[in-house]
Amino acid sequence: MDRIELLRAMLLIRAFEAALMRRSDHGFQLLSEGQEAVAVGLCSVLGERDQLLTSGRSIAPALARGLEPGAVMAELLGKTAGPCRGKGGRGHLAQRSAGFFGAHAVVAGNLSIAAGVALAAQLQEPGTIVACLFGDGACGAGALHETLNIAALWKLPLLLVCDNNGYSVSTPRSEALAPKSLSDLAGPFGIPARTVDGMDVAAVRDAARELAERSRTGAGPVFLECLSERFASHSTAVRETRSAAEMQAIRKRCPISRLADNLEAEGGLSASARKQLEEEVRRAIAAAVRFAEAAPYPDPSEAVSDVV
Amino acid sequence: MSSDARQKLFFREAIIRALREEMDRNERIIVLGQDVAEFGGSYREFEGLFERFGRARVRNTPVAESAMIGLGVGAAAAGLRALVTITYMDFLMLGLDPLVNYAAKARYKTGGQIEVPLVVKTTAGAKGQGVAHSQCIEAWLMAVPGLKVVAPATPADAYGLLKSALRERGPVVYVDHKRLFPTAGEVPNEETLIPLGEAAIRRCGSDVTIATFSFMTRIAERSAERLAAEGISCEIVDLRSLAPLDMATVCGSAGRTGALLTLEEGQLSCGVGAEVIFRARESLANLRTARIGALPAPVSSNPILEAACIPDVERVTDAVRGLLASR
Repeated sequence: MDRIELLRAMLLIRAFEAALMRRSDHGFQLLSEGQEAVAVGLCSVLGERDQLLTSGRSIAPALARGLEPGAVMAELLGKTAGPCRGKGGRGHLAQRSAGFFGAHAVVAGNLSIAAGVALAAQLQEPGTIVACLFGDGACGAGALHETLNIAALWKLPLLLVCDNNGYSVSTPRSEALAPKSLSDLAGPFGIPARTVDGMDVAAVRDAARELAERSRTGAGPVFLECLSERFASHSTAVRETRSAAEMQAIRKRCPISRLADNLEAEGGLSASARKQLEEEVRRAIAAAVRFAEAAPYPDPSEAVSDVV
Repeated sequence: MSSDARQKLFFREAIIRALREEMDRNERIIVLGQDVAEFGGSYREFEGLFERFGRARVRNTPVAESAMIGLGVGAAAAGLRALVTITYMDFLMLGLDPLVNYAAKARYKTGGQIEVPLVVKTTAGAKGQGVAHSQCIEAWLMAVPGLKVVAPATPADAYGLLKSALRERGPVVYVDHKRLFPTAGEVPNEETLIPLGEAAIRRCGSDVTIATFSFMTRIAERSAERLAAEGISCEIVDLRSLAPLDMATVCGSAGRTGALLTLEEGQLSCGVGAEVIFRARESLANLRTARIGALPAPVSSNPILEAACIPDVERVTDAVRGLLASR
């Protein structure tokens, strides 16, 4: 994926979430504004047959994985045109056929599941890998340590990506996690690990590619920590606890502006081309919203379908 | 060999046979658990499987119940079929997140895209091992939509229910009882599956129905023998499958006898008996009911206290007499 495509993917996510939040029926959401580069950089190195599992902060990774924005919007709004027929929502968004095995809204809950998917891949589809994206909040949970241990023992083709935005809801990382660097957690298990600037999409892509290829060729699990910034509060149900001054400083680190400005400065993106890109994205999101609005809600009888 | 030929097997042998047959039939089945490979399982209930199917399919795991179940769930969701063994049901609590939050909901939450054909095999019941190695928490699991629960009382049912569980679309918790492992029973030589959701009438009778399962079926049988000597005729319904429950068989029997006693080794509050009796009363007017379970206390490894806590023949026979005296 070249840098223009990376930029387009990030713009799409930003515009999608903005369009969602303009609606009064947006529901309970965890947004990725500020963290687009992690999802986009990671997904740019995954192949068609690879699978991605995520935390409940799933909108960016789902779109970056190539899910149709209209279908994702439909799922978030509870419409049957969503890949989970509106039953999963953001917390459990999934489209297996698109390589998006899906979100799971229990912090650290998808880690051992992803290792199991990787075990199936190892036995049935050699050469493919499974990526699991989780927040720094998951790093204090036993599930991560149990998963690192078994994945290392069994050399599972598993790319673990920690999107470290520095906060578990309001609790800063310094109060929640002892390790100096979260990628240090992989060391004792002999798992190759790196920490990169998660606001630099090219850096995320390059590191993810290097680690993914090692895992793909039999090195076992790999661990990538991306240092990112969350521009919104933890979720639509939680108030912002950071100061206005802090937020202003954080927003200056926008991964989209950073890439676009760099491209422009290097002459790789003219002002008119940038405008055109933004216009394309605007039209795609408008179409997605129209698609989702036109889709039906489930019949109440679906409350008991696909249970047993 | 005639088609009704039978062979006496211990529980562990019935389990090995079921797994061997199903693993031969379906190469996607894998077994994950502590000490399942060369060691053959804590109750030797996996003996020979490692030698036959190899390390890729019979895998020792670290002591990490949450990740063990999570891995089994993920592998099953992605196209394998996993049996995860949890040595004691008490430790299943450590793995409830992947089982309840993921496996039981996967088909629903993905709109039918992902199914989790997983069997969690575990053991319940008191056998001198103390407060965190004795519990019977089947009723907790019965309350989870999307989860099936079976608990055999005979080697033939262990064999037939485990085979059926290994062909289900969704997650099943299969519960052995520690006190049943030293016992043997006739198992058909011919391949026989026992469908989930079908109870069995172990003993026919006319005065009272005792609905029970797992090791407590033995206590019910001994109680029925003693009561028969007093002229009281007990019918014993072995539920076998707790989710789904076969209320048709329970109600058919209780409708004939007019009295229903439930017997379980777990707790009475929100227990199996509470559910069975409530549902029976929804269908049967004027049904006399009583329930027996463990005392509302932990189960000690102290033999005196353990015996005092869990139901025995005395308590069952007293309860039946009391129930019939209320006529």
